[in-house]
Amino acid sequence: MRFLEHTITAQPGQSPGDNEEASTNKLQMARSEADRLLAAGDDAIQRALSGSDSEAFLRASRQQGGE
Amino acid sequence: MSKYQTSNTTAVALPKLCGADIELGNFIAGEDSALGTGYEASQALLDEIEGLPVRQPHYLNYGWASSQSVSRAGNPQDVRRRFLTGNGGCAYIDLDHLELCLPEVLDAFDHVAAWHAMLNNTRAALDSANEGRSGDRRIKVLVNNSDGQGNSYGSHLNFLISRRTFDDLFQRKAHYLQFLASFQVSSILLTGQGKVGSENGQPSTPYQISQRADFFEVLQGTQTTFNRPIVNARDEALCGRHIVDDASAPARLHVIFFDSSLAHGSALFRVGPMQLMLTLLELGLINTRLILNDPLSALQSYSHDPTLKARAKLISGEHITALELQGAYLDEVKRYAAQGVFKGIVPRAEEIIALWEDTLVKLANRDWMAVAQRGIDWVLKLLAIERAMEQRRGLHWGTPEVKVMDLLYSSLDKDGLYWAYESSGFTEPLVTAEDISYFAENPPLDTRAWTRAMLLRRATAESVVSVDWDMITFKLRGRHSWPTYRIFDMHDPLRYTRSDAQSVFDHCEDIADLLDGLESLSSPESLPFQELITQ
Repeated sequence: MRFLEHTITAQPGQSPGDNEEASTNKLQMARSEADRLLAAGDDAIQRALSGSDSEAFLRASRQQGGE
Repeated sequence: MSKYQTSNTTAVALPKLCGADIELGNFIAGEDSALGTGYEASQALLDEIEGLPVRQPHYLNYGWASSQSVSRAGNPQDVRRRFLTGNGGCAYIDLDHLELCLPEVLDAFDHVAAWHAMLNNTRAALDSANEGRSGDRRIKVLVNNSDGQGNSYGSHLNFLISRRTFDDLFQRKAHYLQFLASFQVSSILLTGQGKVGSENGQPSTPYQISQRADFFEVLQGTQTTFNRPIVNARDEALCGRHIVDDASAPARLHVIFFDSSLAHGSALFRVGPMQLMLTLLELGLINTRLILNDPLSALQSYSHDPTLKARAKLISGEHITALELQGAYLDEVKRYAAQGVFKGIVPRAEEIIALWEDTLVKLANRDWMAVAQRGIDWVLKLLAIERAMEQRRGLHWGTPEVKVMDLLYSSLDKDGLYWAYESSGFTEPLVTAEDISYFAENPPLDTRAWTRAMLLRRATAESVVSVDWDMITFKLRGRHSWPTYRIFDMHDPLRYTRSDAQSVFDHCEDIADLLDGLESLSSPESLPFQELITQ
């Protein structure tokens, strides 16, 4: 099940005078840069997934209620 | 003085000063204890945080200190509190959670910077506490609000409002309460941290927007640990003693509704829009068409639907999404902003409104990447989890690894997912690294927190008997070396700013001289209500 379908309908900084091709190029560049920066988090994801025993981690994380 | 005139009354608004008291999840990885390891973890963390007083004296338990100090006697929700000489905030232990209290600020952007400064300081404490510990017994700190096992802990905000507004909310005008509750419920779009699964007997869901939504069971109430209310009615002003008959006296709205936030966007949207809404409330500018018929059920519906399609019923009978409702509240704010209503009450209101609107547009466009970059935690966390599911076969919403990712998103340790996205530059900073560094060691300039921090820096540890938000008790040497006790009253949170008090600190060294100088400063006739444009 996937919640987030990536759609970009507006381009950051797009002005009404921009022609369509330039707008598309800017959009692709912005998306590409965002993808690159997002991918920089992949190592952290892999570390999170590589814990030796996820169930033990979850048991240990039990908190007393607070406030 | 700020006024808003209607046909026969004049309303006034106070600057929307904001504080925060935020509990952290803490435990020792690798230890499985029936009672949890929060006690040991929180004690070890607090050991690494210096502050004053070194020890709260027992005699405070018997009555000659502020009302707040008295109420803390033997209180497991307030253990070993120490105020920080750096920024004027404090830290203590609340039911086995390390709790961080931010210094009072006026500017929502300062709140973001001060919050991240406190997190950085706590990370330093965590690193120290973990020195010498084996790798499989590290203390972990989670900046979240639920453990996924039915336990929730708070991330509270505190806003300055007038006594009249407090009474209107909880004793006189039910539509004020409903207006605020409906706003808060719809605001989870911007403030939620996101959570895998559900708790507290709520219907199961793979992922939801708010960590706290499952735990709210009533509309209003004073309690915080059970039957949690959307709008909390705890009446502790932290501004001197409660003056019942004075409608313009300061009061504190204790807001227990929001999730803890990591990303700047969510952190800002917990505070800025609330400052704007509370100003409208204080001035009686209530649009009753924006009131949800059942805020509690709307909260569950909205939170359990990350696609943002869920609708809830207004009292008008119309069914509305959270995004549409937020847009309607924003329209109200923009209308009054154009009349100058927020001037002098909410610093940088125009910037807050612009960011709020831009983020709602991005959400309306389902431009999830841009929303995550803006720093909306629930979207960023969901993006990361769905990315992990793409990269590793066999992961699904019910696998423990996914719940671990949920928790580690907010870890302060090196395994924290949020920090990876912040350091890569993926998320948009709304405050600078310099702003954050400033608040790690310095107080806000424009609230009483400035003088609190400066006094604590000048005092010796032995001379500070007790510290509270609205007073400090010093033990000074009197005649013939007998000790004398002196209480410095700071009941006005907007007084004793740097501009008020700097000259005294420039000219006095000794604590007794400082207190003489501060007390001799001319007292404002009243709290600085702001002039507003009349209709």
